[in-house]
Amino acid sequence: MKNDIFNFRRFGKYFASDLMTCRANYGLSLLTISLVFPIALYLIINVFHLIMESTWNGPDLGLRFFVFCVAMFCLIVTMPVKCYGKLTEKQYGSFWLTLPASKLEKFISMFIIICIIAPFAGAALYIGADALICAFDHTCGKNLIAGSIEFVRKWSEMGEMTMNFVDETFTIEDATLTKELLEQLSSPLLYIDEIFGITLPFLLGAIYFKSSKTVKTILVLFAISTVSSIVMAPIVDSWSSELLENMNNDPTAILEMFSNGLFKNLVLLDTVTDTIVNVALLTCIWFRIKTLKH
Amino acid sequence: MITIKDLGFAYGEKVVLKNISMTLEEGRIYGLLGENGVGKTTLLTLLCGLKRPQAGSIDTDGLKPFDRQPSLLSDQYYLSDEVPAMNMKAEEYAKNYGKFWENFDLGKFHEVMAVFENDPQQKMTHMSFGQLKKTYISFALACNTKHLYMDEPTNGLDIPSKSQFRKAVTKYTREDSIILISTHQVRDLENIIDPIIILDRQDVLLNATLEEISQKLYFDYSSEKIEDALYCEMIPGGNIQVCLNQSGEDSKVNIEALFNTVHQHKELIKGIFNK
Repeated sequence: MKNDIFNFRRFGKYFASDLMTCRANYGLSLLTISLVFPIALYLIINVFHLIMESTWNGPDLGLRFFVFCVAMFCLIVTMPVKCYGKLTEKQYGSFWLTLPASKLEKFISMFIIICIIAPFAGAALYIGADALICAFDHTCGKNLIAGSIEFVRKWSEMGEMTMNFVDETFTIEDATLTKELLEQLSSPLLYIDEIFGITLPFLLGAIYFKSSKTVKTILVLFAISTVSSIVMAPIVDSWSSELLENMNNDPTAILEMFSNGLFKNLVLLDTVTDTIVNVALLTCIWFRIKTLKH
Repeated sequence: MITIKDLGFAYGEKVVLKNISMTLEEGRIYGLLGENGVGKTTLLTLLCGLKRPQAGSIDTDGLKPFDRQPSLLSDQYYLSDEVPAMNMKAEEYAKNYGKFWENFDLGKFHEVMAVFENDPQQKMTHMSFGQLKKTYISFALACNTKHLYMDEPTNGLDIPSKSQFRKAVTKYTREDSIILISTHQVRDLENIIDPIIILDRQDVLLNATLEEISQKLYFDYSSEKIEDALYCEMIPGGNIQVCLNQSGEDSKVNIEALFNTVHQHKELIKGIFNK
């Protein structure tokens, strides 16, 4: 009896061919985004410095990190449409749906390529290009990886400093709280699941909308955030009013509330909420694949 | 065997197929004929699982096509009337995707490509529509599937390619396969399709083998006028006339004349063939 739900051998074959198709459809764009952005930034900033100050000075870490985020956003937004956007077209969609692999295998392959391989390959290429530029031209300072490590180290040191900076107005509890918050904020777990949170809506948009996929996805995200802001505003308002009232009555109560709940469990809370959103998005993608017709 | 029972499908308010029932048997090349918009492509897409039946059922060797189970998908191939130009060479395409079909034969792909005088090293995005179609036909035949559905396969093919297509279909398909070819251009497939299915709006007008057709209808090619002919068309050097075969005499079925006869005498033909 053949396994029609998931078969490792068949999945391996499907994944390899899916990856090859994505490489053919998006490989060049991925290379362009990952390599052109750092090189262009380096050249533009140097030319700018030469014209304005007559000095040879590369882009600093902050600017390079910002452009890196922009490049990764461009990659994440454009890749799902290029790789899977054709599924809504009759020609390619019919071919894809009748390809002998199970829906689960197609779904997992899509997830791995869009949410893991593409962002990490793009980031690795970008960071590699940035490291090469920094190795050749020391005016750029540290490369993105070394710079980020340095940033996290300084962040942790700030926590240590607050522990030492304790006087009458700034208590040891305050300092512990600040240190914990900084530790939580520097946790990579806080940011890794954000990758899925950004890629999954665009993947869903790519296989759901028939045209103007990226624009429609952005508009839907904008509409959802507007509606959720309107819905959440009264709740946040009542919560903050209560908070202010408590602060007037007992200032330590707020500190306790934060230290016992929100700050201590920031990573956990963030991971749980992101996971709920990501699971909901994955469910929508799964049902779209399951019910896609041509 | 494929069993279609009371199949129904509509696009919104527009009903395309209604109460369609038929059985498709192994070892046959079915010709699916019908006017524009009667639901030939819809029926093919329902058979290969691209659409879900809204009424009735389709049973392909005990499986439902819309479940799109790999075991059924690997034993069927649907050649759409419009084919995508993939961003790779034809041979790369065959190697990359052929492995999903258990019986795929790369050697056969090359053979059929050679029959069509098509270059497997050419990039699919650089091919003309006809070349692309020939690549997909070669791929479809190389898959060696039991169920093969082709939607207007000769569209876009030049005159030599049409005869090469007929040759390839008869030579490179399995003995036990069920092949369903939808076409408007009956002359392109005249010598290979048997039985003939003629679809009408929401109905099957005819589903019969050429033998059954020639037993019940007589195709006369003489210049003498037959009084009670169901259909008559002038051709150079005489007429094609279709009449009821009362003497049991054999005649060569002309599919175009048959199609026109069926359309002019729908109820009569249905009555004759449903006896």
